[in-house]
Amino acid sequence: MGNILEASGLTRTFDQLIAVDDVSFEIAEGETFGLLGPNGAGKTTSISMIAGLLEPDSGRVTVEGVEISTGSTKGKASIGLVPQELAIYPDLTAVENLVFFGRLYGMNREELARRVDEVLDVIGLTDRRDDLTKEFSGGMKRRLNIGIGLLHRPRMLILDEPTVGVDPQSRNAILESVEQLSSEGMAVLYTTHYMEEAERLCDRVAIIDEGAIQAEGTRRELVALVGETDRISIAAEGDLDAASSAAGSMSGVREAVTGDHTIEVLAADASSILPELLGRVSGAGVNIHGVEVIEPNLEAVFLHLTGKALRD
Amino acid sequence: MKILVIAASNVRRMLRDRSNIFFVFIFPIAIILLIGAQFGGGVDPRIGLVVGSDDQLAADIAESIESAEGIETNRFESEAELVETVERGGAQAGVILPNGLSEVAARGDVVEIGFISRPDGSGTQLQSVANAAIAKVMTAVGAAQFAASETDASFEEALSTSRPLAEDGSSIGVEVTAVGEALFPSSMGQFDLGASSQLVLFVFLTAMTGSAALILSRQLGITKRMLSTPTSVSTVIVGESLGRLGQALVQGLYIIGLTFLVFRVDWGDPLGALLLLIAFSAVGAGAGMLMGSIFRNDQQAAGIGVILSIGLAALGGSMLPIELFSPTMKTVAHATPHAWALDGFAELLRREGTALDILPELGVLAAYAVVLLALASWRLKAVITRP
Repeated sequence: MGNILEASGLTRTFDQLIAVDDVSFEIAEGETFGLLGPNGAGKTTSISMIAGLLEPDSGRVTVEGVEISTGSTKGKASIGLVPQELAIYPDLTAVENLVFFGRLYGMNREELARRVDEVLDVIGLTDRRDDLTKEFSGGMKRRLNIGIGLLHRPRMLILDEPTVGVDPQSRNAILESVEQLSSEGMAVLYTTHYMEEAERLCDRVAIIDEGAIQAEGTRRELVALVGETDRISIAAEGDLDAASSAAGSMSGVREAVTGDHTIEVLAADASSILPELLGRVSGAGVNIHGVEVIEPNLEAVFLHLTGKALRD
Repeated sequence: MKILVIAASNVRRMLRDRSNIFFVFIFPIAIILLIGAQFGGGVDPRIGLVVGSDDQLAADIAESIESAEGIETNRFESEAELVETVERGGAQAGVILPNGLSEVAARGDVVEIGFISRPDGSGTQLQSVANAAIAKVMTAVGAAQFAASETDASFEEALSTSRPLAEDGSSIGVEVTAVGEALFPSSMGQFDLGASSQLVLFVFLTAMTGSAALILSRQLGITKRMLSTPTSVSTVIVGESLGRLGQALVQGLYIIGLTFLVFRVDWGDPLGALLLLIAFSAVGAGAGMLMGSIFRNDQQAAGIGVILSIGLAALGGSMLPIELFSPTMKTVAHATPHAWALDGFAELLRREGTALDILPELGVLAAYAVVLLALASWRLKAVITRP
């Protein structure tokens, strides 16, 4: 699959502050790429440059090979932007908001009417289509905010922290929508400071802090990059020391120690060794009561890379 | 096309705002109605009469008052009934013509006629009307008294001779000729002055307070979002400007249409009125856009917009006719676009001017509009493309 988005060397300073420093990445068709970082890390500034709202000091952005810039409208029809703000008119209805932006995307009347119905269905607002959006709940507004970005069937969807301030039900609906769009071949750039969302949605993640990308890759690659391991905790009774020794001699196991009625095993990839591990432990004459696999998450990776937590 | 989409959304949002329905459509008409009522003309003032039943002179005076133009009269049975009616506002004044007036006149004594009025300005005016009507009758009475005293004829005989002479217009006539141009010609309708001045006031006020909507669009990130679509900055700016112009025109056309249909306001040359409205609306749109691009807070902009609009309207002659200003204040007033717009409307409404006659006013307003819209566009571009 070819790249839909290519961003290379994006840099932007405000006065003395370097907001974005030499950021580069690509997103392929059908891929969801996450920009994970705390507030103020440079996510929104990066997105503004990618969407053609902010001119970079240096670097360039292309979407489907067309260079994006603030001074040109070229290539913008390929992008659907879902900003962090609820950028919808409160005194217009859901349909009127969709039609307004649809016309700005240059959609003709028939196509627009069809797509408005489809999008309202996707975001679950068909029965509220003619209500003023100021009467909507926060979650409904968020869904409409996303719907506007989807209306013109963009090749590249940019979502800037789309779940901030929404209830769990709406949040789940939003995440499901993103998964669906990605599976339909849309390239998605998703910024968040919620580690769980990045882990659930993103094929690849770039960890950004203080304007620079600290690391990039799949979750597994990032975990491996910082040397984090899976932890398997086996609750058991019997000769735990012998079982630990047996587990420790397995290839793929980095360390096995005896705890209080548990055996703690550190491994690079828990899922690949788990069946054999359990066989060896029970073969050492212990009764297993329970097994818990704890995989390292992006929060741990972020902490390792930046020395601070994501929500700092 | 996208320009019209943006402009239309602004007009739609204005029409949808319930508070706008009052301030844009109801309030201006109420003020025009109020001003028109103060200028009078709708209902003639009323004088009540109590007339002695057996007195010829009383009957003559009553008839003379009843034939006066511009007033309505009613007869009452008693003085008490008349006083009560005047007190309750059923009549603005009353004249009491008791029995025995003819006898007093025949004796050559002073004839006393009672006059009562409400304690407002209308009483004085109606007294003048009554005095004129009484004087018309008393001219003949005075002549008869003189003739009776100098000849053998009785008062009644002399009066029957003098009355036709007094009525045939053989008295000395005074012809009044007005020199110069009337400020407010008699042909001007009751609502004409209020309609044009309030049109100017409210169109500008609406445009200024409309700046709040522009600020709200910026605050919500809608303007930025427009720029993420294949829509240029200039399209957004022209669309927003056109939207504000549309809002002002909707209100202006509404005021012109309604006052023409309901209050019979003659706006003069339609082309001239339309051009003047467009030019002044463009000034308002420019001012509103500038406000919307300068201020960050919509409430602040709306508040200052109201103060500025009212201040400029007062200075420009929307509250007190500019013709009543001192020469110095007239010069100062013409620093406002309002004064130029009102001059233009005065030419159309009062002097039957045409679009050609108001070219100077149109030119000045166009210059105002160009400067304000250019400033606003420059400022708005800087604001909406700011990181």
